[in-house]
Amino acid sequence: MRQFFVIAFRNLTSHSGRSLVLGGAIALVTTLVVVMLALTAGIRNRMIENATALSTGHLNVGGFLKISQSSAAPVINRASKLRTLIAETVPEATLVVERVRAYGKIISDENSIMVPMSGIDMAKEETLLGGLALAERGDYIEGDLASDAKPELPGRMMDLAQQGSIVMFASQAKKLKVRVGDTVTISMPTYRNIYNTKDLRVAAILKNLGLISSFTTFINHLDAREVYDLDPDTTGVFQIYLKSIDQVSAVDDRLRKGLSAASYALMEKDANPFWMKFERVAGESWSGQKLDVTDWQDETSFLKWILDIFNALTVALTATLMFIVTVGLVNNMWMSIRERTPEIGTMRALGLQRRGVLVMFLIESCLLAVMSVGAGILIGSGIVGLLNLIDVQISSEAFVMFLMSNSLWLDLQASDLLITFTTLSVLLILGAFIPAYRASKMKPITAINHVN
Amino acid sequence: MDNIQLSNVVKEYHLGKVTVPALKNVSLSIDRGEFTVIAGPSGSGKTTLLNLIGCVDVASSGDVVVGGSNTAQLTERELTDLRLHKIGFIFQSFNLIPVLNVYDNVEFPLLLMKDLSKEERRSRVMHFIEKVGLQDHMKHRPNELSGGQRQRVAIARALVTKPRIVLADEPTANLDSVTGQSIIDLMKEINRSEQTTFLFSTHDDNVIRQANRIIKLRDGVIVAES
Ligand SMILES: Nc1ncnc2c1ncn2[C@@H]1O[C@H](COP(=O)(O)OP(=O)(O)OP(=O)(O)O)[C@@H](O)[C@H]1O
Ligand SMILES: [Mg+2]
Repeated sequence: MRQFFVIAFRNLTSHSGRSLVLGGAIALVTTLVVVMLALTAGIRNRMIENATALSTGHLNVGGFLKISQSSAAPVINRASKLRTLIAETVPEATLVVERVRAYGKIISDENSIMVPMSGIDMAKEETLLGGLALAERGDYIEGDLASDAKPELPGRMMDLAQQGSIVMFASQAKKLKVRVGDTVTISMPTYRNIYNTKDLRVAAILKNLGLISSFTTFINHLDAREVYDLDPDTTGVFQIYLKSIDQVSAVDDRLRKGLSAASYALMEKDANPFWMKFERVAGESWSGQKLDVTDWQDETSFLKWILDIFNALTVALTATLMFIVTVGLVNNMWMSIRERTPEIGTMRALGLQRRGVLVMFLIESCLLAVMSVGAGILIGSGIVGLLNLIDVQISSEAFVMFLMSNSLWLDLQASDLLITFTTLSVLLILGAFIPAYRASKMKPITAINHVN
Repeated sequence: MDNIQLSNVVKEYHLGKVTVPALKNVSLSIDRGEFTVIAGPSGSGKTTLLNLIGCVDVASSGDVVVGGSNTAQLTERELTDLRLHKIGFIFQSFNLIPVLNVYDNVEFPLLLMKDLSKEERRSRVMHFIEKVGLQDHMKHRPNELSGGQRQRVAIARALVTKPRIVLADEPTANLDSVTGQSIIDLMKEINRSEQTTFLFSTHDDNVIRQANRIIKLRDGVIVAES
């Protein structure tokens, strides 16, 4: 067996040019796959990170209150009772925050936008929102900054603790043409079909975090209550945070059972954020209170297509590249078998069993595959580490939207590396099996007499 | 049971629709310790005969009995085992494994025999390398050796498994006459000292003269024996 390894290894090195080209191609493909996977994972994790800070818990208990048949308010009555129940049902929650949900118009002198708003109790959300980066002036002020004489106040996220404040993202500020300190008006349809309005001061403008920032603004929860005319024992949503997203489905189950057992009416599972459900709920014939349990994926379903595109791209590219290198390796095997046919015949005549021929060639392709894939994994990991170290800044709006971050961040996951390594190695070895098998089936006498 | 026995052996090759008779009804037996030459013009069936005895090919009809087994009744796996344990091969173009050095080439068939200890392997390899006089070239690869030296490696490799019979198809055809003669001398010497049976084919009248038994083939038939 050891001698098979020696023979395989020496055959590889004695055709070092060919082995290097093929091994290099395999390593290159592996590198690309590793970087692609790290990029996709980076985007996914960024998205989870951002989404769970901005607009959803790992799990959410929200709901709708229907006073009349055609109305739908994103409100939960008798919140204190539910608060206790959730605390008992999900003892492992690391954090539960309550937000008032609102969906309405922000109106400035220049423009207006429809956008979901979260009514925040800033005192309780510093851990989630305190770290959000403020936008630079250039992110939302158009035109020549230097000649812009208007004084600009520094924004402060924590100012949201005061009533009468609103915090928005740069993309929204740009559309509304507002700056920190400006006043905007929010306008909400309430369940009496009357539009309630309130004037708010722009307390801070945040740096864009991709598509999700177009669907998020923050207001003080007291203002939200005021606009919606809510009594104190109401809330909009309980955002529940867990130690790991792997716990989500188990807790989801338990939560639904617990709520049903406490005779709460639950809405059917609908994988959409709350602000996409108004019309549907308003069209339903029930009235009263129903709860809606959602997870972070449901609340960010409108971002899913971005991940889907990246996943599809990764899969398509990976599959194509893997196919190409497998063909390359199989071809290489055919060549080396053709060249060594008389040698195979000699070994068979000397008493090497068919299986031995098979094993010998499989070892050879195994060595080549494993070494090249291993090298590719190392190089790919190195590139990912380097890119993260350089901290590539992304200036293009379009890319920020897709990558959900202002700088390129790639996440190298051990499981991705393992899967890449195994898939590629197995694929390559399987590919090598056919030529190796054919070689083992040759009659020794025809093999010996084979002329190249 | 030590001998090789062929009775009424026919071997035909099929080239498309044409049937080429390479051996027609050959019967012969070879005893232990013989030093036999198969002679005959080109195309007379020498290689075919050696291939049948060497179990790398099977007869179209008739019996080839090697070491007590009728080769027609053996599976591919058993034939391979038979070659490993009972037959040594010396080829016209040496056929060494290019990536292995002299020592490793000679050791190769022993590694295929699973039941040998490391020490046993080593002493056998050394014995035969010394026998063919290559103890100073053990680390050389085949492409660093002369033709005669390569054929010596092949002889050591053929003998190292202690086979019943060593088959050599024109072992001197690729060597000059002096080197060829030294290879014949070596084989004769081993034939004497190790009691190994040699059966080889040749065109060379000078070589034919040195055999103690000559089988003359023509058109697939044995035309003379002496
Ligand atoms: N693989 C084959 N397919 C078809 N015919 C073959 C094959 N091998 C040998 N023959 C034919 O069988 C006959 C005997 O060939 P063989 O090779 O045994 O002759 P030989 O005595 O060894 O000749 P040489 O001295 O040239 O080596 C020839 O007519 C040859 O053409
Ligand atoms: Mg011949």
